[in-house]
Amino acid sequence: MRFVVFVKQVPDTMSVTVDEDGSLVRAGVPSILDPYSELALLRTLRIRGDDDEVVAVTMGPMQAADALRRCIELGADDSFLLSDRDFAGADTWATSRTLAAYAGRYACDAGLYVFGGRAIDGETGQVPFEFAALMDVQQFAYVTDLSRDGDAFVAVQDYGTLARTARVPKGSVVAFGNVDPNGSIPTAEGYLRARGHEPHILNRIDVGLGLYSVGLKGSLTRIASTRTVQSARRNMMVEITDPSKAAEIIIREAGSR
Amino acid sequence: MFDRRQIRQGSKYLTDESKMTGRADYVVLPNDEAELREAMRINHSKGNRMTVSAMRTGVCGGCVPTDGYVLSLERMTGVIGIGRDERGYFVRVLPCTTVREMNSLLERRDFDGLTDITPGAIESLGSEPVPWLYPIDPTELDGSIGGNIACNSSGPRTFKYGPTRDWVRRLYMVLPDGQGLDITRGDIRADGWRMTFPAGRELYSFDVPRYPYNDGVKSAMGPRFGKDMDLVDLFVGSEGIFGIIAEADVYLAPWHPTVSLIAFLPSDEDALGMIRDIRADERVDPEFLEYMDGGSLDLIRRVRADDPAAIRIPDLPDGAGAAVFLDVAADGTEDSRIEAVCRMAEAHGGDASRIWCGRGREDRGRMRDMRHAIPRSIFEYVASLKGAMPGIHKMGTDMAVPDDRADEMMSFYREKLEEAGLEYVVFGHLGNNHPHVEIILKSMDDFERAKTVYAEFARKAVELGGSPSAEHGIGKIKREYMRMMYGDEGIEELRCVKSVIDPKGILCPGNILEERR
Repeated sequence: MRFVVFVKQVPDTMSVTVDEDGSLVRAGVPSILDPYSELALLRTLRIRGDDDEVVAVTMGPMQAADALRRCIELGADDSFLLSDRDFAGADTWATSRTLAAYAGRYACDAGLYVFGGRAIDGETGQVPFEFAALMDVQQFAYVTDLSRDGDAFVAVQDYGTLARTARVPKGSVVAFGNVDPNGSIPTAEGYLRARGHEPHILNRIDVGLGLYSVGLKGSLTRIASTRTVQSARRNMMVEITDPSKAAEIIIREAGSR
Repeated sequence: MFDRRQIRQGSKYLTDESKMTGRADYVVLPNDEAELREAMRINHSKGNRMTVSAMRTGVCGGCVPTDGYVLSLERMTGVIGIGRDERGYFVRVLPCTTVREMNSLLERRDFDGLTDITPGAIESLGSEPVPWLYPIDPTELDGSIGGNIACNSSGPRTFKYGPTRDWVRRLYMVLPDGQGLDITRGDIRADGWRMTFPAGRELYSFDVPRYPYNDGVKSAMGPRFGKDMDLVDLFVGSEGIFGIIAEADVYLAPWHPTVSLIAFLPSDEDALGMIRDIRADERVDPEFLEYMDGGSLDLIRRVRADDPAAIRIPDLPDGAGAAVFLDVAADGTEDSRIEAVCRMAEAHGGDASRIWCGRGREDRGRMRDMRHAIPRSIFEYVASLKGAMPGIHKMGTDMAVPDDRADEMMSFYREKLEEAGLEYVVFGHLGNNHPHVEIILKSMDDFERAKTVYAEFARKAVELGGSPSAEHGIGKIKREYMRMMYGDEGIEELRCVKSVIDPKGILCPGNILEERR
């Protein structure tokens, strides 16, 4: 059985800083495999049988191959990079459409299509479900645990106040809703396996989509304008041992607002 | 006028990471070299005793005052400029700059506002294909460079780069009477066994001590004296007893990428065997080589469950009984190095699926965090005992022995600790035959027994031709080992130098040399 895990390369938000104007400083920020994607991959690897294959897929610029290499280091068997200038500027709809076109051509028989529920740089959380709608398959969100049950699967879903155990038919979309705070580190075995690995690169023509179905041109989202929102909060740290003086400072500061 | 403040009980200025506590009346906080010299001039004339302090990250009580004043250099921080000489680039820094701050600035190439110490050095460094960084990793990256130089600290990368001393180019010292002394390596050398140097209107002259500084192993046992010695070496490792570092030039080395590896093995013996193999085989050529015993891994497992700061450490592989941690250069030959490590792990019960391999900054940072969680959790544990047992301090060894005596020393550690019924963990720089044996104290009775065992370790290390303090320095906790190593004669030689440079004995009293009352 083949498992297709859709992953995303994101800027390491822990390394993003804010400049004096409150704007994000993106220059020089390293890119990482999104932690939601990483958990999705690791949970999929747990249920892989001897004859199964786990394929990592991403859409992005050529440097996204680094994220795929990490997937191979962590245990994936093969990888595909959907990369084309025409894919640039895609919103969630155009992204889902591109991924669905790939799946339709190259992985229509997958046992499961696995996603991270969202990504740390976007938090839209729409792609897995738009993909499921386009593929016309069942979708399972907020999954925290996945196991095998014969030819099908069992997923535990965490809705906050409700935990649900559901039977997942073959061919469904599963989206993991959390990250592993401890994360994982590749092994030397994975490192050596990933040596020389090159992802299969597919462009717009390869997945069979027209220019107006992908990227910015295929996106439904139209951004009218953006602005930076300044936080109104102000912090002050005072080192003081006398409680009454500390109280005076708090009263004075509160009064000055 | 310099800032002087009264010290209250429980003040941060009265302790360091050894958790030893002291006493002092005031803290003096100079903003610059002029204020520092003024503070020394005034206090020298009054005979006030001054203990130098900065980031307070030492583990031997070097900055813990016995009385008098604390002279905290915490406001004298920052990189001043960049220069270049025939050896390479160097940075000029103020004493309280941390290694982390210095390397972060160099890595970002954030040279705005810096001075060219030699013409064109900043532009030239900025155009180098890779950043140049200060290569000594003293483990505690938030310690001050002045403190690092004062105790000639080292760390994991000493395996490849040597100790701090090798990287010191120049020092601007403030002597006990407030005189400034600007010395670059090569400026002033001893004439055979007689050192003479001018500072202000004074001419200092003394016989160079002949105690046997052990160059054969990693050592932080006082200054390295020798025939025709360089004056800079008088101040490196002297823990502030001869002067205060007001400015320093330290050399840099070009950065290169590395891959970090942690091999998990079934037992301590397997890990020690693998370390022997790595050292005997030049194919791996690690940047550093560290060991974590079974107790250390258990400590990490416990810390992971309770400590939010340890959350980034992944699950350790099941059945991991010990680990070997090393970095190899990623210079195009890393694949063959990693393959060699895998084969060595296999020979000792491990395999490639049980070796973590981090090539990105994030993964390598997490592996480093895991290693550092061991001493950090022990520091925190000892601090938590202070309420009930005020006299207690950390009991961790810092001893190095020659290569051919490493196994004997390791067996001695285990035998004596088992005999004394003490709980302990062993981790650290096995590459330099320099493990840290941390005794887990639970009572004052444990503490007393640990002190006895510790003295036996130090005697054994000296007997085997090693050093009882390889990287932490002497401070106030390890003075008796100084005597053990150099004998009464060596200590007296050092005392003679002290009486020439600091006749009133006001600077860092109690460091290295016991006070005569």
